[in-house]
Amino acid sequence: MADQAIPAEHIVAPVAAPDDVLRVEHIAKSFGPVTALRDVSLHLKKGEVLGLLGDNGAGKSTLIKTICGFQNADSGKMWLHGEPYEPKSVDQARLLGVDVVYQDLALIDELSVYQNMFLCREPRHSSTPFLDSRRMKREARKALDDIGINLPRLDVPVARLSGGQRQSIAVARGVYSDADVLLLDEPLAAMGAKEGAMILELIARLKEEGKLSMIMILHNYVHVLESCDRVNMIVDGVIALDKPTAETSVDELTEIVVDEYRRARLAAQAEEAARAAAVPVED
Amino acid sequence: MGAPARKREVPHVAATAWDLLRRFLTMREGSIIVVTVVLVVYFSVTVSTFFTGPNLQTLLQYFTWLAIMAAGEVFLMINGEIDLSIGGVYLFAPLIFYEVHGGGIPLLPSLIITMIVCMVVGLVNGLITAVFNVNSFITTLGTLFTLQGLTLIISHAQNLEMPGAPSTDPNTGASVIGTFASVFGAGTYSELIWALIVIFVMQLALTRTRWGLHTIAVGSNRNAAAEAGIKVRWVLIRNFVVCSTFAGFGGVLEAVRSSSITPDPSAANSILLYAIAAAVIGGTGLAGGSGTIVGALIGALFLGILQDGLAIKGVNANYLVFYLGLAILLAMGINVYVGRARRKSGLG
Repeated sequence: MADQAIPAEHIVAPVAAPDDVLRVEHIAKSFGPVTALRDVSLHLKKGEVLGLLGDNGAGKSTLIKTICGFQNADSGKMWLHGEPYEPKSVDQARLLGVDVVYQDLALIDELSVYQNMFLCREPRHSSTPFLDSRRMKREARKALDDIGINLPRLDVPVARLSGGQRQSIAVARGVYSDADVLLLDEPLAAMGAKEGAMILELIARLKEEGKLSMIMILHNYVHVLESCDRVNMIVDGVIALDKPTAETSVDELTEIVVDEYRRARLAAQAEEAARAAAVPVED
Repeated sequence: MGAPARKREVPHVAATAWDLLRRFLTMREGSIIVVTVVLVVYFSVTVSTFFTGPNLQTLLQYFTWLAIMAAGEVFLMINGEIDLSIGGVYLFAPLIFYEVHGGGIPLLPSLIITMIVCMVVGLVNGLITAVFNVNSFITTLGTLFTLQGLTLIISHAQNLEMPGAPSTDPNTGASVIGTFASVFGAGTYSELIWALIVIFVMQLALTRTRWGLHTIAVGSNRNAAAEAGIKVRWVLIRNFVVCSTFAGFGGVLEAVRSSSITPDPSAANSILLYAIAAAVIGGTGLAGGSGTIVGALIGALFLGILQDGLAIKGVNANYLVFYLGLAILLAMGINVYVGRARRKSGLG
């Protein structure tokens, strides 16, 4: 059923290039009876910003969580810098240079701004188990200043901060890690226009520097066209579109989504009709 | 706003003092420190023998081992878990020590083996809770009864003489305290010193190490902690192991001090509840994500002073339990109020 739902011309084969930083091939992932990813293949070039689009429940976040090592795929393969890449944990992925900014931000309300920024990679005073709080504060301040986020105090629990401030901390945590592949799951979701612009500016700057390659889930097509080099769209657990942003438009992207809705509605109507026809008529 | 500058200085100093006072009162431990000081002043004024050397030594017996047990419990409570089995480990550990030593093993190695057994109990609690996702209240309720039952079976519910504890010289009738006994519980300040060491180390661990930070993270938001890369199960298991170890250590110290192993589950159950009470009164919530080890020490001290003070005042033991209940309710009320004030005032 679902196979027929996607027009064949949209389905794209992965184009492997020698300068791929990350290559994902035929990844599938199910949660019990729910299939989140059917057969996803994508690639990411060095210094590239790839926009990932798709309806709610299309499998975007599942894909991100698979690449960052939070969950394992049922099948499929991944390569990082040409080497087979099978992260067993978030920690391991991070050591290999893949970091992530989660949609739910993964912040700990009770911990302070600087503690959150270094969570799980806290620097310690050499050869002691004790945390180097001064260094954490200093580097956190530098990172936030660099983005342009103005927080008067870094030792307050993040529970006190606004949604936008929390999100910028989560983004700063990902950007200022040692990663060379960064996955961002809706980095602008909780932000106002001003904060969102700051983050997009940061991403543009990082893109210019060319060291970081990014996969970014966004909902706003204008942001996608503005910030990304290329766009992939997930429909029903497969990549249904792969185009450079220069070759697509808000209209085309919208059309695909509208088309998807139309097909879903027709399918539902057909199902309804079939069910009605199957009901036996009683005398 | 146009007010003369020199007039402003006075309110400024007052404001600073008020700010300091507010900071102190809204510290997690601030309120219980105040309540404990008030209690000390009350007993000092009303009971002439309260502030005497002998009584202060008696007081040590009331709270030191409790503080040791509460320190481990606080770590688990910050995790959002609870360990009821400390009431079983407290009873079981001295008996294991007795059996191991009875098998011909010297005192110190026997103690080490006993501590390893306690760690295994913690490991079992941790594995069942963290790996099989059983609520820790249920897991540890099971191990609590199991261990208490084992203690009764092995000891035949008979009191036993604690090996290594102070003994009476049959010729002179004088009390003989060996090195082991004086270090592990029977020395006048031995339990106090152990309690202070445990509290100091655990407070440092909580506030200055990854272990502490990750414990808070797991208790505050387990999913976010896992997403950040924290090994949630490992953190939980480690804290269960530490909690059991301290409970067993407290049990051994008390058995050495009192020279006897008393397999009394009902006494152990109240000890378990006292340890949780000390943690709660000290400012650690059950919801997880926050807590204080120093607070648990002060909570234990508060409970000790209350028991000791009421006892030497000659208050009926039945009232003692009643006052204890009121004290916990009062302390909880203050904690809730202070917690709100802290959030409102914008202080950490």
